[in-house]
Amino acid sequence: MKLLTANRLTDGLVLWYVEGSDLSGWTEDAALATRLEDEAAALLLDEWKARETEVVAPYLVPLIDENTLVKREYVREHVRANGPTAGQTAFDTARQHQRGEVF
Amino acid sequence: MYQYDQFDHAMVAARNAEFKDQVERRLKGELSEDQFKPLRLMNGLYLQLHAYMLRIAVPYGVLSSRQMRTFAHIARTYDRDFGHFTTRQNIQFNWIKLADTPQILEDLAAVEMHAIQTSGNCIRNTTTDQFAGAAKDEIDDPRPFAELIRQWSTFHPEFTFLPRKFKIAITGATRDRAAIRVHDIGLQLTDKGFDVYVGGGMGRTPHLGHLIKSGLPGDKLLSYLEAALRVYNRYGRRDNIYKARIKILVSALGPQEYARQVEEEWATLDQAQIDAPHAEIARIKSFFPQPAYAEKPFDVASLERAKAADAGFARWVRNNTLAHRRDDHVSVTISLKPTGLPPGDASSAQMDAMADAADRFGYGELRVSHEQNVILPHVAKADLYELYRLLDQNGLSSANVGKITDMIACPGLDYCSLANARSIPLAQDISQRFADAELTDKIGDLQIKISGCINACGHHHVGHIGILGVDKQGEEFYQILLGGRADEQAALGVITGKGLSAEAVPGALERLIKLYLELRTDETERFIDTVGRLGREAFAGALHEPA
Amino acid sequence: MSLLNSSHAPQLVSDQGEVNVNGWTLLADDDALGVDQAVLSFGRAINELDGLNGRYGVRVAPGDDVRKLAPFLSKVALIEVAFPGYRDGRGYSTARILRQDLGFDGELRAVGDVLRDQLFWMMRCGFNSFLLKDADPAGAIRHARSLYTHAYQSAADGLKPVWALRHPA
Repeated sequence: MKLLTANRLTDGLVLWYVEGSDLSGWTEDAALATRLEDEAAALLLDEWKARETEVVAPYLVPLIDENTLVKREYVREHVRANGPTAGQTAFDTARQHQRGEVF
Repeated sequence: MYQYDQFDHAMVAARNAEFKDQVERRLKGELSEDQFKPLRLMNGLYLQLHAYMLRIAVPYGVLSSRQMRTFAHIARTYDRDFGHFTTRQNIQFNWIKLADTPQILEDLAAVEMHAIQTSGNCIRNTTTDQFAGAAKDEIDDPRPFAELIRQWSTFHPEFTFLPRKFKIAITGATRDRAAIRVHDIGLQLTDKGFDVYVGGGMGRTPHLGHLIKSGLPGDKLLSYLEAALRVYNRYGRRDNIYKARIKILVSALGPQEYARQVEEEWATLDQAQIDAPHAEIARIKSFFPQPAYAEKPFDVASLERAKAADAGFARWVRNNTLAHRRDDHVSVTISLKPTGLPPGDASSAQMDAMADAADRFGYGELRVSHEQNVILPHVAKADLYELYRLLDQNGLSSANVGKITDMIACPGLDYCSLANARSIPLAQDISQRFADAELTDKIGDLQIKISGCINACGHHHVGHIGILGVDKQGEEFYQILLGGRADEQAALGVITGKGLSAEAVPGALERLIKLYLELRTDETERFIDTVGRLGREAFAGALHEPA
Repeated sequence: MSLLNSSHAPQLVSDQGEVNVNGWTLLADDDALGVDQAVLSFGRAINELDGLNGRYGVRVAPGDDVRKLAPFLSKVALIEVAFPGYRDGRGYSTARILRQDLGFDGELRAVGDVLRDQLFWMMRCGFNSFLLKDADPAGAIRHARSLYTHAYQSAADGLKPVWALRHPA
């Protein structure tokens, strides 16, 4: 299972791909990211790699199961999803979304 | 400080117009990300972990109060209200929007600033002694030559696509506060001209620079640099990014052979077309006069009274001031290393406060040091207490300069897309562990330098204690290096003991420090001297929890 | 739908913005020499130019030491400097050495990954023609020429360094 992530071209913010019944697209809230099957994820990645005027540097984040990142990616993706752990909490992305941590 | 004339203004305006056009073409899809990347990097714009990061040049670390206020404005208007001062004497903002950058660059141009060549495989901001023009031990002022190099290297058509980035540092004092031996080119200004060191650097394969030329006249500096860069541009490796810095070329050829090739290339150059004439050097020098010193009656007794009444002030004077060329002045370092906060960060309010401090007590001038602090180079001793109180009201009175908590730390995995491990939380833990002022002062001078990856932005190779974050199968681990130093006795630290988890590092440092306090001959023997006397192996055992 | 500018086929354009037809042909090392306007590889040029008559083109790759061409420059009308990738900057040194050390005054052409954003640097280093990947080669030249009216350092073009303008002789 995989997550699709990228940065938005215009402001660089981290985005996560959501697929839903009534809407498909990007969100800044990692908690909403859709858990994608590997094949579907690969197709989506190719599609978004070509859409360079919308997002930059898309890639897939591998998951062990629905809520667990593979270890190699954990710290980096945790920081990308939640904002810096470094104490500038007033600016913390997680707080903007009124939640604790994702993953 | 240097002031732009019509040519300097035109140059920055032209670059801003060019970059604005490039941003528009990127947004429209006429430029691919791959094509745009080197262009945005040449203007200091990175894509980091969370957003775009803009690195703004502070040429040789010299800054006016007006420029500092512009940083505050950028932090407030375009970012999340803070900025980060770097080991390259620059500042970076972490949450910049691509579409805002042309306007930010325009705001900067209005105060004679830019982000040109703060990234990319080109000649980067030349760094120097943060006390240039003020320090008592100065032989000659390096700033005019740093400005000369700034102009020569700006938009140099031959050296815009070098094998890798290129960093030059200059010092003009007997104490090397600019770490010249760990730069691609390090310049030591002496009364006989320049000593030129080449091939220093940190990163994956650290090297100390080799002396390849002595007594190079200042008016031949540019043509010599041009020859040195041309040899590198032609023969530096381009097949492997980790072997592309000049240190690898110099060590492959041998310093003597490299020096010979430079001399040979130098002889082919039309030097008179490259070297600025004496009149231009004199013009640049005229921008760096001594300030119009205020003759303020200074009363030692009243300073002593203030110190006796306020222990915090006394400690701040002891640790954060440096002897000035004038006896009635000092240089003041504003520590950006308060307990528990990220090293090198300042809020917009703090930037404004530092600008106010410079206007009221420092002739309007500030400096950024490679240790990520801000300096007021000229402060009358009579003003010290008032200055201290102003800084204290703004959370800027940490009295730990040169001490164990005055750490260098790169942004690490909290911000940087290259990092393997976090640096800032570790620095925060260490600063809390050693927050006690009395203990800090007892330990004395000690430099901890932390990098979140092998690229060594946090200078871990030349920390008395260096800490390198590594990724070990998905977990953050930290290797400890001992014995490095960046000064005139430059040495590279060596990894000592096994890697530690983040939680284990502060305890290991505590044991290390305890052992040092037991082993030192007396309080005048600094940590680095004790390591030098006894060898780092004497300390290896202390890094690990006793079984 | 946007179109990547560099997806356009390369066109030959001079530093004055004239778009021309490229009459030169790059020969493989075992091709016969009979053709008019032949471009030789660097290795072949060094080995064979001495015994040849007429004027040739030479293709210089990034790693080639262009000073080895010095004895034969009178037989060289065109030098093509290859930029296999945008970020390989060795060709800039090659060009300056040709112009300023060896005194080459023939056509100096940038070929390969040549995009409008490099033109300013290339012209300063002495290139006077380009196989440029751009929708509007003449406009790209015009744009590059209009951007910077001054330069901080001397190179192989006519721009005087600003210090010379600050201190007229």
